[in-house]
Amino acid sequence: MHSMAKKSDPSHVMWINRNLTSKEVNVDKFSTMLEKFFSYNTLSSWIRERLIEKFYGKSPHPFIIGMQNPSRGLLLGYVIEHQHFLKNWVKVLSEIIFKTDIEEVMKYELANISTEYLGYKGMPSHYELLIRMGESLGVPRERILGYKPLPSTVSALNEWRRIALERNWVEIMAAMHSLELMADKTLRKYGARMHYFNENILYNNDFPQEVKDFLGEGYKMDQSHAGEALEFVDKYAKDPEKIQVTVLRSFNALANYLTARLERGIEFDKNLMRLVSLS
Amino acid sequence: MKIEVNGNRAGDKDSGCALCGATWGNYYEEIDGEKLFFCCEMCATGFKNMIKEVKYRTGWKAIDNLSIEGNYYRGRTCVAENEEKRYKFYLKFDDNAKIATFEQIE
Repeated sequence: MHSMAKKSDPSHVMWINRNLTSKEVNVDKFSTMLEKFFSYNTLSSWIRERLIEKFYGKSPHPFIIGMQNPSRGLLLGYVIEHQHFLKNWVKVLSEIIFKTDIEEVMKYELANISTEYLGYKGMPSHYELLIRMGESLGVPRERILGYKPLPSTVSALNEWRRIALERNWVEIMAAMHSLELMADKTLRKYGARMHYFNENILYNNDFPQEVKDFLGEGYKMDQSHAGEALEFVDKYAKDPEKIQVTVLRSFNALANYLTARLERGIEFDKNLMRLVSLS
Repeated sequence: MKIEVNGNRAGDKDSGCALCGATWGNYYEEIDGEKLFFCCEMCATGFKNMIKEVKYRTGWKAIDNLSIEGNYYRGRTCVAENEEKRYKFYLKFDDNAKIATFEQIE
């Protein structure tokens, strides 16, 4: 890996730049850094650490910064790109069901798909709550549904589809459900600088009820979703290193996708451009 | 062309890749008569696409100074200068270093 990076091989250089260090180091130091980066107590704790480091660390993702005081434009960017994410989400989870023979995993994924896409126990699906949030912000349902995903969203969705097709079910599970940790209320306890969004939104009257309904539902559910799924990952992991590499691919896709939400938001609110300068 | 990436000088092996600031690799390309260092061919392609787009949009023949802030995931906010003129923009590359998003910033 070190020698390939020294020779400017794009895939190796990009991986090292994005995950380890952009400053060239000698092979001994590189080996030490790599070993430290991949060492863990449990896989689930390693996944949480990597997520915090990438999205909530010293330079939080600009979309998350925007969600601390979201404008109508930013929330619409969220709605328009996320409808595509959620459709892709259930397709990828279906591949876990297809590839596993473990009943508790099949049931878990079926329940997740129901909650996200169909509605569960009389509650509207997260997909429906998302569209209602967009409507409450003044954009008709037909117009929301008519938007094609931005290039960065397409790129991320394709990466998750490749993971679904190429990797085994434990890796897919780790790659996808670790994304739900983004909204985990307890991340601050582990070093996150902020929450996924400013929780005051749920309790004040600055936003329509539909915005609170969508954000509140994710706030309640994602922690338990991610927690249970990652317990399965800990329990059934046979090749931890491959799981780690696949999770990193998924996080890279997520970083791209969050930027797409912000870019879409800028179409509605040019002031959001200030956030991209915070990189 | 004087280049800064995330607040630091860039464009040679010691200072880092002209697009991303990384010091890995050993890839060079001559751009506007100047030999510039890149960590890999992908960054060189992205950089060339960016320069071409700025020249096309501004009508400039050359860029004297270029400041780049950001990264692949978050996109890049840049300021190009030609003599007294200044052009600020945001851009994001796709997986093949083509420009996916380009917005002039007022």
